[in-house]
Amino acid sequence: MSRTGRWCVGLFIGCYLGILTLGIVAHCLKIGLSGNTLSYYVVWDMFCGWNAYDQRTHLIAESESGRYYEVSEPWGAFRPYGKLGRIQYDVYNHMVSKHIDHILSHTKHEPINRVFVVQEFWPKQYNLPESLWKQNFGRERDKLSYYHLRAVCNNEGRFVNNYPDWLNQQQMNAVGDNPRLRHEVQQARASFGTWSIPTDSTSGMQEQNTAILMPSTN
Amino acid sequence: MNRSRQQDMNLRQSLSKFFFEEQVPFGAALTRIFLPLMALLPMLMRFPRVRELYSSDGTPVQMFEVFGNGEVLPVLNPGPAIMLYSLMVFCLLCAVVGWRTRLSLCIGTALYAYFNLIDGIGTMTKYSVIANHLLLLLTVSPCGRLWSVDEWLRKRRSGNAVAVPQAFPIWPVRLMQLLFAFVYFGAAMTKIQTEAFFSGEQMRYWMLSNWNYENPVGEFVAMWPPVLLVSAYLTVVWEIVFGFLVWNPRLKWFVLAIGASFHLGTWLLLGLYIFPAICLSGYLCFVTQQDVMFVRHWIKPLKLRSSHLSRLVPEIPPVLPSSVTWTIAAGIFAATAIETEYRLDLFGTRSKSGRLELREIAPSQAQSLLAAETPLREKDKFFSFHLGSQSIGGQLANRRVNYEFGETVLVECNLNPPHEDMWVECVLEDKNGQPIDSIGQVLTREMLRGHFMYQLGSRLTAGQYSMVLRSAGTEISRRQFTISGEPPVCMANPQNYTN
Repeated sequence: MSRTGRWCVGLFIGCYLGILTLGIVAHCLKIGLSGNTLSYYVVWDMFCGWNAYDQRTHLIAESESGRYYEVSEPWGAFRPYGKLGRIQYDVYNHMVSKHIDHILSHTKHEPINRVFVVQEFWPKQYNLPESLWKQNFGRERDKLSYYHLRAVCNNEGRFVNNYPDWLNQQQMNAVGDNPRLRHEVQQARASFGTWSIPTDSTSGMQEQNTAILMPSTN
Repeated sequence: MNRSRQQDMNLRQSLSKFFFEEQVPFGAALTRIFLPLMALLPMLMRFPRVRELYSSDGTPVQMFEVFGNGEVLPVLNPGPAIMLYSLMVFCLLCAVVGWRTRLSLCIGTALYAYFNLIDGIGTMTKYSVIANHLLLLLTVSPCGRLWSVDEWLRKRRSGNAVAVPQAFPIWPVRLMQLLFAFVYFGAAMTKIQTEAFFSGEQMRYWMLSNWNYENPVGEFVAMWPPVLLVSAYLTVVWEIVFGFLVWNPRLKWFVLAIGASFHLGTWLLLGLYIFPAICLSGYLCFVTQQDVMFVRHWIKPLKLRSSHLSRLVPEIPPVLPSSVTWTIAAGIFAATAIETEYRLDLFGTRSKSGRLELREIAPSQAQSLLAAETPLREKDKFFSFHLGSQSIGGQLANRRVNYEFGETVLVECNLNPPHEDMWVECVLEDKNGQPIDSIGQVLTREMLRGHFMYQLGSRLTAGQYSMVLRSAGTEISRRQFTISGEPPVCMANPQNYTN
């Protein structure tokens, strides 16, 4: 290999390992990952999240005549990783709008007024097969699903109303189950006086002030 | 000063040897044969759905959208999307057989990245990312110089059918190996940041999820937290030390064997198929010249002679240059795919009966989904309730229904988060359901389990009892157990909940 070729290869190796290292460091220190799509290629956070409830999404269309339809692919849902349709892997509703619009525009149906996005939850222990349930739980298997209206969309899939996710709602309920805290929250008032500077003297336009106090989700 | 310069020189030499040592690329060739094949499996499954998943006539959701960056990549019309998708499949198949290897890998890798990025919901996963890295590194490697159509054509051109395989600098293979070290180290960091991983809860809930393929073994193991606890520590230790041990010739196969069992474990316990397949294909990059020589020594009696090989390989006259043949074949493949997809009519829009109809559901069924929400039942805030006598790492390690006087009953209840701060009671009842003893404790919102200890003292008589778990005034679960033997004369440890 020529000297130049060796230098080029060295540069490639350095860049490649540098990017991989950057991914690990950013992941460990939790910096520079938010909104950075390409970080997905260098962050190894497999199975980082979890929750105790299993979840499904149901899409129910209500027609002008008051009839209800299941908004699912009549040609068969694509199941990417197992038995569940692709929409079930869209836990943050990135796809729901497109999905509703796509199905309604590719199927025959009476005019649709609105589409309800309903979440279904149940504790994961009910996923155990009957034999294991009997072995491990000394009680009747009385699975109950919790249905929660997550959003209402129009017939083009656009969100008309959005509601908190059921799990977040439960989290809030758990935190809110504290009279003292509830009282303090009710007394508190948010102040966003520094959100914008009324007029910028040079451009004459409003500018966003980055020095703003925001609640953190971390 | 001289000493530090000497050390510097030694480091440079070591690095130079590590990356630029020349070896026959057996590892890269094996990875080239198996990895694109494994990466292709999920993509072939998606072949009939290209229109729906990756084209403007479907519902592609780009990874950029998932990360909040909007639609960055162009979304193609169905025709071009199917053409490019089939070209990707063709290129990856060509990479497997090593035909126009570098070109095939170059195009295949770029298109593989594109189609994964286009569908962030149903295509892109971490195995796609690992496969993409490996495909990129295969592209810059001499993986096509061995066990490939390219090599066969090269030999035919030169007329030297038994030429010794050529050696090349090993750096692309080293980068593949380093990739695994980074992946495992990063995965270990993720686990270290996840507290519930080390108590087994995280894996238990993943094993009980039905988001992947069937995992009956996982469902069984999920109910034994001590197993999860021990395996959690072993996994993290192995993931961290992998990068430090795998280049040691004596330990390499041992470390890789643990890795292989770890990946097979994800198949059995989590129902993952493609992830282990991709990783195990990637492991083939660790195969060296010496390993191949070792295997060849053992299978020497089975080795085919070149005369036998020449009989197996048909004498194809060189009519067209390989590049022209490749281009024609790619074109035919793409055209066939476009025509097949058109005839398939996925959405049924060209059928005689017109578009397919939405399924109507009964108003009662719809109303049941849309009715006022049911408050969370108290019992659903709990996962399980068990009796035992030993704990490992703060988890109940055994389950028992028979006790003797003097023993301690260890009671464990596991909670499903999120839950509020709870007052949970454990009530001892006799066989007639009469309460004998009761004790409670606060389980705060961040707690995933609670423990009660009950020492079987002299106030009880031998017989059958029940331990009842109560919360918010309701019975959650009960476990029956039996006490046998003679009551002791004196009691010990007054701190425990005892009678």
